[in-house]
Amino acid sequence: MASSTGSSVIIDSTAAQYAPLIILLPMLAFPVILLFGKLYNGEKFWKQTLKEGGLIALPVMGASLLLALWLISDFIGAYGGVQKLSDWTWFTSSIWESGVATKEVSFGFGIHVDHITVLLLFVASFLCLLINTFAVGYMNTDPINDNRNHRFYAEFVLFCSGMLGMVLADSFLWLFIFWELMGLCSYLLIGFYYERPSAAYAAKKAFLTTRVGDVFLMVGLAMMWYLFGSLDYDVVFDKYEIKSVAESNAAMLAWSLGLMFIGAVGKSAQFPLHVWLPDAMEGPTPVSALIHAATMVNAGLYLVARMFPFFGAEALHGELADLAFIIAAIGGTTAVMAAAIAFVQNDLKKVLAYSTMSQLAYIFTGLGAALYLANTLHWHEYLADGTTKNPDYYVNHAIVIVAFGAALFHLFNHAMAKGMLFMASGAVIHEVHHAHHHLHHHDHDDGHHDTPKELVMLADYLEANGQTAFEFFASIDLDGSGEIDTYEFQTALKKADVVDLPPWEMAPLMKALDLDGNGSINVPELDLTLGRIRNEIEEGHHDEFDAQSMDNMGGLASKMPLTATAMLVGSLSIMGFPLIGGFWSKEGIIANTWRVALEDPRFMYPALCVLLGAGMTGFYMSRMWLKTFAGSPKGEVAAHVGPTNTWIKTPLFILTFFSLAGILFASMGFTHWAPDIEYGLMSDHGGLWGGFLYEMEHVFANEKAFFFILTYVALFIGAVVGPGLALSLYGGALDEGEEAKPWFTPVLALNAAVKGRYHWDNSPFAQSGFATALSNRLYIDHYYDMAMLKIVAAFSFKSAEADSKVIDGTIKTIERTSQQLSTKLRALTTGSARDYILMAAVGTLTLFALIWGVMA
Amino acid sequence: MIDWISIPLVGLPLVSSLVLLAFVASADGAARERLGSSIRMVSLVISLAMLGLTTMMFFAQNNSSMYEALGLDKALDWTGLGFGSFNFEFRYVWIEALGIHWSVGIDALSFPMVWLTTFLLPVTIIATWNEKHASTYFPLILMMGGALIGVFVALDLFMFYVFWELTLIPMFFLILKWGGKDRKYASQKFFIYTFTASVVMLLGLVTLYFLQPDQALSYSGSWTGRTFDIPTLTAHAQQGNAGGAWFLGESMQKILFVMLMLGFLVKLPSVPFHTWLPDAHVQAPTGGSMLLAGVMLKMGAYGMFRLPLAFFPHAAEHFQFWLLALGMISLVWGAIVCLGQTNLKKMVAYSSVSHMGVILIGIATMQPLGWAAALFMMFAHGIISPMLFAVCGAFKHHYHSMEIGAMRGMAKHSPWLATSMMFAWMASLGLPLLAGFVAELMMFLALWHFLAANDWSVLWMVGPALVLALTAAYYLWSMQRTIFEGGEETQPPASLNGQPVPDIADSEKFAMIILAVFTILFGVMPWIALDMMNGWTVAFFETLLIPILGGA
Repeated sequence: MASSTGSSVIIDSTAAQYAPLIILLPMLAFPVILLFGKLYNGEKFWKQTLKEGGLIALPVMGASLLLALWLISDFIGAYGGVQKLSDWTWFTSSIWESGVATKEVSFGFGIHVDHITVLLLFVASFLCLLINTFAVGYMNTDPINDNRNHRFYAEFVLFCSGMLGMVLADSFLWLFIFWELMGLCSYLLIGFYYERPSAAYAAKKAFLTTRVGDVFLMVGLAMMWYLFGSLDYDVVFDKYEIKSVAESNAAMLAWSLGLMFIGAVGKSAQFPLHVWLPDAMEGPTPVSALIHAATMVNAGLYLVARMFPFFGAEALHGELADLAFIIAAIGGTTAVMAAAIAFVQNDLKKVLAYSTMSQLAYIFTGLGAALYLANTLHWHEYLADGTTKNPDYYVNHAIVIVAFGAALFHLFNHAMAKGMLFMASGAVIHEVHHAHHHLHHHDHDDGHHDTPKELVMLADYLEANGQTAFEFFASIDLDGSGEIDTYEFQTALKKADVVDLPPWEMAPLMKALDLDGNGSINVPELDLTLGRIRNEIEEGHHDEFDAQSMDNMGGLASKMPLTATAMLVGSLSIMGFPLIGGFWSKEGIIANTWRVALEDPRFMYPALCVLLGAGMTGFYMSRMWLKTFAGSPKGEVAAHVGPTNTWIKTPLFILTFFSLAGILFASMGFTHWAPDIEYGLMSDHGGLWGGFLYEMEHVFANEKAFFFILTYVALFIGAVVGPGLALSLYGGALDEGEEAKPWFTPVLALNAAVKGRYHWDNSPFAQSGFATALSNRLYIDHYYDMAMLKIVAAFSFKSAEADSKVIDGTIKTIERTSQQLSTKLRALTTGSARDYILMAAVGTLTLFALIWGVMA
Repeated sequence: MIDWISIPLVGLPLVSSLVLLAFVASADGAARERLGSSIRMVSLVISLAMLGLTTMMFFAQNNSSMYEALGLDKALDWTGLGFGSFNFEFRYVWIEALGIHWSVGIDALSFPMVWLTTFLLPVTIIATWNEKHASTYFPLILMMGGALIGVFVALDLFMFYVFWELTLIPMFFLILKWGGKDRKYASQKFFIYTFTASVVMLLGLVTLYFLQPDQALSYSGSWTGRTFDIPTLTAHAQQGNAGGAWFLGESMQKILFVMLMLGFLVKLPSVPFHTWLPDAHVQAPTGGSMLLAGVMLKMGAYGMFRLPLAFFPHAAEHFQFWLLALGMISLVWGAIVCLGQTNLKKMVAYSSVSHMGVILIGIATMQPLGWAAALFMMFAHGIISPMLFAVCGAFKHHYHSMEIGAMRGMAKHSPWLATSMMFAWMASLGLPLLAGFVAELMMFLALWHFLAANDWSVLWMVGPALVLALTAAYYLWSMQRTIFEGGEETQPPASLNGQPVPDIADSEKFAMIILAVFTILFGVMPWIALDMMNGWTVAFFETLLIPILGGA
């Protein structure tokens, strides 16, 4: 076991010398793709051969992954150590504290590798590559992305570079710098479809909400910098430094870490800064996968995990327990809240978004519990004095690293599963969209035409008032010309109180009505169009088709077998279904939170939350899969969905394996992938088989009665009650003649049996006020928006007014008064600047002479 | 050494602008317009020559071919140039009786500002390549540059003041002749407001001149026995302040400090003396705004370091609370008012007020780190804010409106302008790896260090923290309503009269690219400028402030 607690052991690694390239390659690809995109946009070789930059990004991300794997392999199998590449000085400045000289402070950049880095580095670089592969299949076949994909790939590689930089950086300063870089990229990518107001709003919301967290993070960093005089990990994690800070100012350190945690809350979308995440679905699906699995949200978790050395320090024993509780409590709250909101979502991606929020909350709870244990148990080899052997060393040490390892392992499992789920959902949406497109080109020879909603409103208005198109026309044709122009039409709409549009927004209305294209509208045009619209309303055709709504899916298991399989495995992993991916880590988190709850009654709250959340997860994930893939197709579109392309399939296939292989990773020792132990895989419990036996025994046959029972309670809730409820409500057997892969048969049969036997009417719940509140996201977003609009914006408008009325007004009053006083001198003022300057010069000289006369 | 290098640096733009103007004045109306393009080219060549000269001056510190080309016999030192030492120091007796000299020199405080001025001249000329009345516009831009460099290199109070006021003249005409609808009011307000404050400052300077101990040194006037020489006065002040004593007496030092600071605070500007700025900016032509925000505001901060902080450290310490309070109010108030603006250029103008608050806060911390933050902010804002105003100018030029929301979906119609805008906005809100971030970070650290070490209330931290969020809010909100939204159905504003929406001109693109490149350069490699600023602040503290304040 480890011997060098907290201190750095330099591992000699050639790979570490090349580590900066992991960050730099994608960062440099950013301008390259952007430039080529600008130069060759629309050209055939750029679109077909280079996939609008996708195939520039792909090898770059591949190279990053290879370099990352090389680096990782150097560290696995070596003893717990830290690599700090000789760092480059970024800039230096000085501080004057006391005495006659100033003290130089310098800010540098370097590479830091430890077990957390290794884990996150793999997750980020691996998933970035897979998502890139997926994106080539997804983005380049979507007609809506016409000729703008170079922007996507450029921002994508910059995003990846930000994440890779963040995990490799050797100081909190550079962590923050890359953290902000990710914030920028998420802003750009969420707002990728910039012309959609909803995307513009979502992008702004994401940036501002995370910025609120960042503000606290920055204050926290300023505090930490004051305490340690540096933000480098090798200074702040040094146990002697921590000890001296703990003795002088432990309270400020606790505050600093607490404020930094708020930054993590924003970035990882935890209550109360969670509002941006569901809206972030406005970005293209690969972006969702990137944000939810590979990069952005993991950043917050990474930051909290990075704080471990403070919590684990003997010098701060017990000082940070309250903060650990807050972390766990925020996690517990979010886990339940997000899961509850996921119950009522009908948008496939929104379910996944809330699922992300909820699962991240699990990790936060797990981290909170682990940090609590690290802070309150004596788990080091020696006690605080540094010489006395710790009698409880082996027991406590194992408890701490297993707790921490469970949280990190859940991060790993969640990233793999969620990356896959998002890509699979993207595949579903992509194909549903295509099917819709395909069908509608058969339905209407002119494609699907968008009716401006204002015209629908006008049609409704005429219907309600019993007016014919002709009567309406006569009332608005002001000049009686028989033709109405934009202005007349706009006025009429405003007068009829239908809608008040600025002139430049009238164009789509005019276009929709002006069938002969002469720039104005006559009676037949108006009558025809409004008649068509009324027909559409009656047939329900004017509804925008929503390719993301699960109400337009169903029964897809037979049509998209690989996607359905991936989605099934991913869902089971998220649910914590026995032996699959997330099961191992989720059980660990629940067990460790309860372990703390036995010590500290406050932890009963997060502990109950995660237990309850397990059942809720089981319900909403099952609901999602069943509504999408089981039962009969809902609507003709779902019946015409076809399989997807290879670019999309490949990453799904790989990640399905990674989620299924959870048991393999667990046996390899991922459950205690924690600091302060050697980076040994498969060595702790006698190889893979030994590890397997150990894990199985640990989980299913725990020697402590409490944990033995807890495991089965959690399993019952999460894998039986939650999914059981969903099985009884949703899905069902596939239609006659639809063939599904053999591994779906038990699921579908079970679904059909349960639903047939126990189906019940859930409408009292679905129509309750609580469900309404849930589908309105508990009104939290609403209140935030109101606060922004009614308080912040209103105050700023008043301030702007006060600035010109009060501050500038005072100046103007002074000016006026002095003007009145100088009425007699008015004769001298000619209004010409030249004269003013002359007078000023003369005045200055006089003044000069006067003072000299007085003083000399 | 060619000590007289500052003479062409100041004289070349001033003289050439006068010659060009005289030449134009002699031509009749039609010929004037024809002369425009050649005068523009001459102005560009002159400004580029000056940029080349200052850039060589920078590289002459470790590049032998550069210092040989400059006629120097040894390498210059910028980063190690301590407080009180100057490169290219040169004195020529001007008015012997009063002790007025043509006295110039460049140190690590003024060099970044001089370089910045010479950098912005060609960029401004390129960005406003198609400005009307070119034959008089471009000479005025050159004159502006000469006057600004004069302020930064002057080592004589009299000369400092002359150039200080000289900067008003070209700017006054730039606003008056090329300005917007209310240009007449704005130009006069700009002139009278800042001039009034400068007169107070002048009164302070003259009082200082007569109160200085009569030591009849080499730079003293034969008639008055007193000197305007800034290094000499600084040395006097240093002696006078030593050992806890107050140079010129406690009350007089406080009075003079306030008088000098008043002139500089109005120029900076600081709330509540800022209301001339939005008016001037909104009415000024793009080129005027670029120079006004880029360099002219920094004269205020530069003056503080050069004069009151060096002469009156006791008073500075005494008024520390007020400096911090003014900085904080400027920072927060500026940001709040920004959020309430509907006019794009006014918003950017108020953002300058907010950013100048950072400089005041940095000064108020009385830490080398905070001072270096202020110096770097002066420099970084000098690159970023011209880009902000160039974007505003292009917006106005192409959409005939300054209202936020008049034009949406710019990303589709004008991708270049949209990209430039997003870049400039992001740089101004302090995105890491762009120039502004380093200054903000240093200010943040210095402020917390100051508050915690001196047991000041932590509530002071609320201001900068709030502003970090507010700044993001106003910039993002304005981008949402300009770059984003829109789409197929977005129509250009009615003021375009149905013409197709154009993207920015090639000259504007070029200027944006240059500004963006330098914003990135100094964001990724801040040490290029920060090393010399750090060296200067450390020397200032160790030679001047610590012996005076540390012992008390």
